[in-house]
Amino acid sequence: MTAEPRTALTDLFREWIPQQRWFGGKGREWAGVTEDGFFLDRGNPVLSVHRVRIEYTDGGRDTYLVPLSWRDQHAEELESALVGAVSNEGRETYAYDAMRDRESTAPWLIHLAQGSSIGPMRFSPADEGHIPEGLPGDIVSTEQSNTSLVYGQEAILKLFRRLEPGLNPDVEIHRALRATDNEHIAPLLGHVEIDDAAGGEPATVAMLQTFVPNASDGWRLATASVRDLYAEGDLHADEVGGDFAADSRRLGAATASVHADMAQVLPTEEAAHDWFATVARQMSERLDAAIEIVPQLAEYAEGLRAVYAAVAESDEQVVRQRVHGDLHLGQVLRTATGWIILDFEGEPARPLVDRRELDTPLRDVAGMLRSFDYAARHLLVEQPEDSQREYRAQEWAARNRAAFCAGYSEASGLDPCGESPLLRAFEADKAVYECVYEARNRPHWLMIPLQSLSRITDRD
Amino acid sequence: MTVPVPDSPAAHSALPPPGSDPEWYKRAVFYEVLVRGFADSNADGVGDLRGMIDKLDYLQWLGVDCLWLPPFFASPLRDGGYDVSDYTAVLPEFGNIEDFHEFLDEAHARGMRVIIDFVMNHTSDQHPWFQASRSDPEGPYGDFYVWADDDTGYADARIIFVDTESSNWTFDPVRKQYFWHRFFSHQPDLNFENPKVREAIIDALRFWLDLGIDGFRLDAVPYLFEEEGTNCENLPRTHEFLKEVRKVVDTNYPDVVLLCEANQWPADVVEYFGENGDECQMAFHFPVMPRLFMAVRREQRFPISEIMAQTPDIPDNCQWGVFLRNHDELTLEMVSDEERDYMWGEYAKDPRMKANIGIRRRLAPLLDNDVNTLELFNALLLSLPGSPVLYYGDEIGMGDNIWLGDRDGVRTPMQWTPDRNGGFSTADPQRMYLPLNADPVYGYQVTNVESQLRNTNSLLQWLRRMIQVRGQHPTFGLGSYAEIGSRNPTVLSFVREFGDDVVLCVNNLSRFPQPVELDLRRFEGYTPIELTGRVEFPQIGVLPYMLTLAGHGFYWFELSKPTEPVVEETEDWASATSSAVADSLLAAGVVSDTEETPTDESGGTR
Repeated sequence: MTAEPRTALTDLFREWIPQQRWFGGKGREWAGVTEDGFFLDRGNPVLSVHRVRIEYTDGGRDTYLVPLSWRDQHAEELESALVGAVSNEGRETYAYDAMRDRESTAPWLIHLAQGSSIGPMRFSPADEGHIPEGLPGDIVSTEQSNTSLVYGQEAILKLFRRLEPGLNPDVEIHRALRATDNEHIAPLLGHVEIDDAAGGEPATVAMLQTFVPNASDGWRLATASVRDLYAEGDLHADEVGGDFAADSRRLGAATASVHADMAQVLPTEEAAHDWFATVARQMSERLDAAIEIVPQLAEYAEGLRAVYAAVAESDEQVVRQRVHGDLHLGQVLRTATGWIILDFEGEPARPLVDRRELDTPLRDVAGMLRSFDYAARHLLVEQPEDSQREYRAQEWAARNRAAFCAGYSEASGLDPCGESPLLRAFEADKAVYECVYEARNRPHWLMIPLQSLSRITDRD
Repeated sequence: MTVPVPDSPAAHSALPPPGSDPEWYKRAVFYEVLVRGFADSNADGVGDLRGMIDKLDYLQWLGVDCLWLPPFFASPLRDGGYDVSDYTAVLPEFGNIEDFHEFLDEAHARGMRVIIDFVMNHTSDQHPWFQASRSDPEGPYGDFYVWADDDTGYADARIIFVDTESSNWTFDPVRKQYFWHRFFSHQPDLNFENPKVREAIIDALRFWLDLGIDGFRLDAVPYLFEEEGTNCENLPRTHEFLKEVRKVVDTNYPDVVLLCEANQWPADVVEYFGENGDECQMAFHFPVMPRLFMAVRREQRFPISEIMAQTPDIPDNCQWGVFLRNHDELTLEMVSDEERDYMWGEYAKDPRMKANIGIRRRLAPLLDNDVNTLELFNALLLSLPGSPVLYYGDEIGMGDNIWLGDRDGVRTPMQWTPDRNGGFSTADPQRMYLPLNADPVYGYQVTNVESQLRNTNSLLQWLRRMIQVRGQHPTFGLGSYAEIGSRNPTVLSFVREFGDDVVLCVNNLSRFPQPVELDLRRFEGYTPIELTGRVEFPQIGVLPYMLTLAGHGFYWFELSKPTEPVVEETEDWASATSSAVADSLLAAGVVSDTEETPTDESGGTR
């Protein structure tokens, strides 16, 4: 009944999946692939959903979710979304990437509004908020690991491509935050789960959120400000028209407000004494591994170890709580009224259980501070050395980092950027991670985190 | 009041018949012109009404629909004429009532309307009413002003001219009492509690209405009444009186507009429209103006988006007045402290550029005379909701003179030609009421109407073309406003929609070229046609609509409806066959059959 190995469809997937941006196993060799699918909608076009299990020759395995739309004639305008054709008794049936076939996007919301269960899939609407059923969805073109559909100006559906057992933190946190009416998040409208065939925890398939119209992400705003500064002949960061500090300050306040509400509605725990030692050891281990990949890191190793050692000896009072986990300027949206923080799923590359662990808000603060460094310096990448710009980048980053911290501390009463060894270590740890990432993906960007490490380790 | 009032309006008016266009002000382009500063017909160094008559052809050519004249009444001129000493007399150096009447007829003959400033909150201390009030407390005018034995009353009312005044009360040595004034101490506030005052003011309004004017700009209306324990602004009695004025207008003077000057937040200003549009038909939108400047300096749209989102809906028969600059300073009352510091830092680098809580500069020098920015600002002015109000001289990019006192720096004579006194006057240059601007860039030798008339690429010619384009699309005045988001924060895009008249405006607030992807799915199948050159752009589809803009560039597009209906999907394999698709997928073993349970009864998640 279920798909047998090597049906025509798995052949198509073998060709098609490795080319998709959301596929995280690029470069790994496939040992085998199986899939099972079921109908989500038998209208026109037919919509089916498939779980595709891929085994790699390195022993790893992943399960991806692939919705397909089916037509008995090839649709010219969907050429780029074509997955392939399946033939049966001499008749061809064409399969398309359903997320890019506008006509097959409505069923997701209809089922969510109805709270349907279809096969292993369960649709759970949130208790409040309007689900705009009947509207078609349009794909958001810029995503990496997920695929999103925007329905009118009202809702956005995010499909988590890689299935993992357990509730996705993005859904979990947004659902908990509904109780707080926090104005800095986009309210959850519902989510979709799929049962595990082997009887384990269900995996999160998708979440539906209120769409934030007329918004622009923080990265674009920040880089517009930096561009403005670079274009000035002799003005300082606080003198140019494009100064971003007021926005950074509000962003700090918004972050503090979301942290406070997360601490209120989700578990917290006083950090035990040995937690510091554990954190410090983990960071040191990551550093050791990173040096293998990025030899330039060796220069800073001693300084970094000292930074981590300070954490191990710390007697800070730390209450651990749920955090965003991957906060940076690209994860925040500026609207006409203020800042919205998005994507609470943590770093998608890390296992789900790690992402749900309690941490400290300083982790997010460190992430944002690193992001200011990136925004300030990304225009210097692949440019001839220019000490003037170098200086300005430093000035811009310092000004906006300080403004972010000031906004955070005004809203929370806690100054995250005081002399906390923990924050400094988190920033260093993040920069080390960035070095590895850049060395692998964009070697010419490596200078950004390396320079930051030079600054962090140089401070004493 | 012995001036004869002619009983019939102009015989040769080019305006539509009275009563046939009561909402003309919603589509109009206004032009604020100081009589003193426009043209001098009698070589005394001061502009006058006859001089203005000579320049009406120019204003008609420019495409202006309505002139707004700040006060030209008899006045000692200690506040630019806002200190009126006779509500029904023309300041002699400007001419007389006959001159005004002729000016009005000539404007009407060219299809232009005229509204005048009326200052009802206060008079000059030279007004006979005040002189009588201070010398004869028991006389008929004794109660015309707000008198008190001490200066402790209404302590919660703020002081407006913080540069010059320390209290809202001033002691009068004649009457030996304090009088109340919200503005300068030579401008005592009238006592609107007194019915005789209200009657006298309405009589004065009638005097001008009988002459045939098309409306009033009511100056400083929030302050008419005072009440202990309040900030003495926007009080209910003030609104009551304005409704009374409106009734007088509606009953006897069709097509007359009341434009209120209330420098307040939009949410408070809307009260001046009345709940049913039964107060003033127009009010200035003050906060939008500083935010245009802020948005362009910050290179992001959010300062504008924010204030537009905070702007409430207004009654159908009402309209906002929007402006970039006027005869006052660029007021910064309607911004936060942080924003004010920002504006001062960016636009008033010299302390002399600051005045009260504002910036005393003209548009062109504020924008460093950058042509692209000037065009962008004017394009925003002409396309944002509301009726645009131009300020004389800004159409040619005149400069300011920050070395002149108070707000005189933005009130220098109009620059017509490169000749003596810029063609404004044939008098001895030393007799000018204010010196002509002689700056190497903004001075009359370079910046003047004559040279810009000759150059088809001048700011003046460009602005005229844009006014013409605006006039062809009623949606600019009447349409709804909806911002179209995009990820690019430096681009402000919005759609103005009035029935089938749909216009898309896209503005690059950054000095750098920018791309933008607009979500125009709502207009799928429409064709954008650029309004200045009528060039057709690619049809709008489902995908984000991609445009690129030059630094500070902008587009106005008409969104032209598809002429043929969008072809319906050919359903030749209708739903009957789709189950065949499903069946064949089942048969091929590609998809398994599953039970569908439309509603999870037990789940109870809803």
